[in-house]
Amino acid sequence: MRTTTLIFIFLLGYAASFAQDSTQAQLDAMKNDIASLRKPENSHFMIRGFAQFGMDASSDNVEFNMTSFNPVILWRQGDKFLFESELEMEYMSNQFSLNLGYAAMSYKVTKGLTIKVGKLLLPFGAFGEKLHPSWVNRMSEAPLGLGHDNGMLPMADLGVEIRGGIQLGKSKLCYSLYVVNGPRIKDGTMGQTEAGQLTWENANDNNKNKAIGTRISLLPLSNSSLEIGLSGYYARPGNELSPYANDSTNMDLNYKDVTALLTAIDLSFVRKIDAIKGVVDIKAQYNTTNVSDAVYLNPDDTNRHTNRYTFANNSTSYYAQLAYRPSMLENKFLKNIELTGRYSIYNTPEGSLWESKQTQFSFGVNYWFSWRTVLKIGYQSTDGAPMDMSSMSSMSSNSTMSTVNRFQIHLAMGL
Amino acid sequence: MKNKSIITSILIAILTLTVLSQSCAPSKMIAQKSGAQLWGENCIRCHNLPSPTDFNDVQWATIGLHMEDRASLTETEAEKIIDFMKSAN
Repeated sequence: MRTTTLIFIFLLGYAASFAQDSTQAQLDAMKNDIASLRKPENSHFMIRGFAQFGMDASSDNVEFNMTSFNPVILWRQGDKFLFESELEMEYMSNQFSLNLGYAAMSYKVTKGLTIKVGKLLLPFGAFGEKLHPSWVNRMSEAPLGLGHDNGMLPMADLGVEIRGGIQLGKSKLCYSLYVVNGPRIKDGTMGQTEAGQLTWENANDNNKNKAIGTRISLLPLSNSSLEIGLSGYYARPGNELSPYANDSTNMDLNYKDVTALLTAIDLSFVRKIDAIKGVVDIKAQYNTTNVSDAVYLNPDDTNRHTNRYTFANNSTSYYAQLAYRPSMLENKFLKNIELTGRYSIYNTPEGSLWESKQTQFSFGVNYWFSWRTVLKIGYQSTDGAPMDMSSMSSMSSNSTMSTVNRFQIHLAMGL
Repeated sequence: MKNKSIITSILIAILTLTVLSQSCAPSKMIAQKSGAQLWGENCIRCHNLPSPTDFNDVQWATIGLHMEDRASLTETEAEKIIDFMKSAN
C-alpha cells in the first residue's frame, strides 16, 4: 500500500512537471504573439526644454530672476516627419510674457536633405541656433549682440528651409539655405532715436520681396572636433511706399531700395585632451550687419535746416569663449567643475542716434550636477552699457553709458 | 550689385559642394565608426554627453530625429548613435 502511494505521488509530480513546461511554453507563445502584434510607435509626443533661475547682484541692486523657462515640444510622426516648437516664457519687470521662439515642421526627404517650414530657428552663425539654450550656453547670458532683445542678427523667422549634413571623405559638410519674410527697417516715425535699426521675426511682411540666407560649415577633422561656419543673409527691409507719403515736404524719403547684407563666421573646437585630463571647448563668432545708406528724419534736430541726417549703417559684434572641464580626473567633485571665460564686443553705427560701443568680459565657474543640470557662478563687466540694461534696444547717444559689473548665480536645467 | 554677386557666389558654392559630395564616399575609417564613438564625438560639440538611460527607445527615436536636424548629422551618424543609445539604456 505504501509502495503504491509512493508510485502515485511520483507519477503525479512527473505529470505536473510536464504541465508546468506546457504552461511555460504557452506563456512564451503568448508573449511572442503580443510582441508580433505590437507595432512600432509611429507617432510620439514629448516635451523637453530648459529653464534658468538665479540671482544677479550689482553695486546698487540684488535680485532673483527667471532668465528662461522654455518648454520645447517635439512631435514625431513616423521616421521622417517632425514638428518642433519652443515657447519662450519670461517674467521680468513684474510682467509675464509668452513668445513663440520657433514652430516648424520638418520632413526628411532623403539622405542629407531635410525641408522645414514654419517659424524657423535660423542658422545664422552657430550661437542662435545651437548654443542659446541655458543648459548649453556656458555663461548665464548670451554674448553681446546675440540676445533676442537687443540682437543685430536674425534669430527666427517665418519661411522655408532646406538643410542637411553630408560626409565628404573624412570631413563633413553641413549646409542650410532658407527663404523668410525678412527684417523691417525702422524709419524713425515710431521712435526717432531708433531710425535705421532692423526689426526681426515679422509675422507680416512689409513688401513683396523675401530675405534669403545660408550657412555652410565644414568639419575638416575626422573626429568632428573642429567646425568652421560661414553665414550670409540678404534682405530688402523697406516698405514699398514712403512712410511720409502724406507729407509733401518729406515724401521724397523712401526706403524701398535699402538693402541689408549680414555675414558671420563662427568657429567651434571641442576636444578631450589626455594631457590636461579634460575637455577644452572653444567657441567664437564674428558678425557684421551692413545696411545701405539712407536719409532719416529727426524732427527734434533744430540745429539743422532740413532736420535730415545720414550715417554709415554698419554694426559689428563678436565673441570668443573658452571653457575647460577636467572631466578625466578621478575626484568626483573636481571632474564636474568647469572654468569659463568670454570676451564680447558690440558696436552700433557711428553717427546714428543709437550709436554705442560695448565691450564685455565674463568669467565664471560652473558645477555640473548631471549632463544637463549646471550651477553657474560668474562675474560680468560691461563697458558702454546703458544704465538700464533692459532698455538696450532703445539706447541712444544721449543715454547715460556706464560700466556695469554684475555677480551672477544661476541654476540651469535641460528638461 | 555687389551684394547680389556675393549671394550668387554663395549659391554656386553650395551647388558645387553638393555635387562634389555625391562623388565623395565616406572613408573606410569613417564607415567603421561605432555608434558609441560617434556619440562621443558629435554630442559634445554643443553639450555634455547625454546619458542613454535618461530616455527610453521611443523617446530616443524622437530625440534622434530632432538632433539629426539640429546638428546636421548625416543619416548614418544619426542611426548609429540612436541604435547605441537604445542598446545602452
